Amino acid sequence: MNRTRYLAPVVGLIVFFSAWEALVQIFGIRPFVLARPSRILRYMGRFPDDYFRASLLTMRHAALGFAIAVLVALVIGAAMAASSFVDYATQPVLTLIAVTPFAAYIASVKIGLGLFSDRPVIFIVALVSLPAFAFAAADGMRGADPSSRELLASVDASRWEVLWHLRLPSAMPSLFTAAKYNTGLALVVAYLAEGGAGGLGQIGARAVAGNQGDRLWAAILSMAILGTVSLVLLNVLQRAVMGWHVSQRTQRT
Amino acid sequence: MTSAVSLRGVRKSFGALETISGIDLEVESGSFVSVIGPSGCGKSTLLRVVAGLEPATSGDVLVYGEPAVEARRHKQVAIVPQHPGLLPWRTVRANARLLLDVNRTANGSTTSDPLALLERVGLGSFLDARPHQLSGGMQQRVALVRALALGAPLLAMDEPLAALDEITRSEMRGLLNQLVEGRGVTTIFITHSISEAVALSDRVLVSSPRPARIVADIDIDLPRPRSDDVDDTPRFFELCTQVRHALLHGAQA
Repeated sequence: MNRTRYLAPVVGLIVFFSAWEALVQIFGIRPFVLARPSRILRYMGRFPDDYFRASLLTMRHAALGFAIAVLVALVIGAAMAASSFVDYATQPVLTLIAVTPFAAYIASVKIGLGLFSDRPVIFIVALVSLPAFAFAAADGMRGADPSSRELLASVDASRWEVLWHLRLPSAMPSLFTAAKYNTGLALVVAYLAEGGAGGLGQIGARAVAGNQGDRLWAAILSMAILGTVSLVLLNVLQRAVMGWHVSQRTQRT
Repeated sequence: MTSAVSLRGVRKSFGALETISGIDLEVESGSFVSVIGPSGCGKSTLLRVVAGLEPATSGDVLVYGEPAVEARRHKQVAIVPQHPGLLPWRTVRANARLLLDVNRTANGSTTSDPLALLERVGLGSFLDARPHQLSGGMQQRVALVRALALGAPLLAMDEPLAALDEITRSEMRGLLNQLVEGRGVTTIFITHSISEAVALSDRVLVSSPRPARIVADIDIDLPRPRSDDVDDTPRFFELCTQVRHALLHGAQA
């Protein structure tokens, strides 16, 4: 069982990268369209520091925006769960944020907050991640077990105590689901919003402008690694704080 | 006689649906009183009204001389719900403390050490277990400890044994007698089991089908302390028969 668990993903990846390598060679695809994995790695190996530093910066942008979104979403979610007026008033706004293509307003936000600054990047990441987190927080908090709510009411627990002891932990499963969805999104948004602000997004944008296939694909591969690392970290965190939850202990049958 | 609970002309309606229809009741301090009635008769609503969780539509509800809502604020009522309602993220030890951990300023001087109580109900080696690692009976014992630890003068139990299997139920019945006898607390116990009501109570109130009215008030003169074989005595059978007749009579009336 354990051997399958660790071996299978490795086999899957090897097959995937081998097929990629072979296809590029067989069809003689240009590096800008699709570079061979071996070629990307060789290129990255020439500038390891550059890609490492750019990855850290992109990670920082995504993580900060992500964290701000979680904090704001907890406040909004708690208010939505507590008041149906706030709930109904907030839903259309969150929906609007969710459906408006962020790529369309990136330029405006960057001009407003500073073209070469971190601020617009973090802001857009936070804004785009907000709806999923807010809906997850509100749903999770509303879904807190009614008999536990009544139990706390029977000793006149305050709103804060109910929030802290019951509603917040009840929202953990849905918050983690939203976090997994938002991880990829936050990285994509950070990449696209970076432009002149540094990070992998800047490398990617310059590579496109200069028609440099190797450089572009090295940035793409770095993003893929960053996304994988982020999801692994998220899973570790989830196991640590949500060990009590059925999703963290059920064996597949 | 001092009244722990006193109801005068209590009615409760949800819109057009009348669930409690004019109940007058005095419950003597330190006694164990069961309310038995057919499913859906409004007996759980009665308990929630006494616990101050639901206001009566009309009439007065006094718990140790103060209105039920005030008694709730002062943590005078400890409830044991039908489903244990343990918080899955808390350990057994932390679940047992839950009611003490909230609204702390209202904790009285009569609180009990939850750890000692957990020892007493045989959960001493499960202090750091999570609820999902316990059987249904063990979970309900934690719920019982959680209520007793509060040291409230009134225990309000809503069919706490209903979800348990027959063997566990009779164990729990004995345990409940041991824990409550001599503690000086008043208990209101909702049930639909005739033998459970007779084995545990000093007095059994029989409710009509909805809207709830008390159609019989039967003194249970079985000696205390109650031994585990109390249900083998002829008197036990006589009393059960009496309660059953009252239930049938109430359903026809």
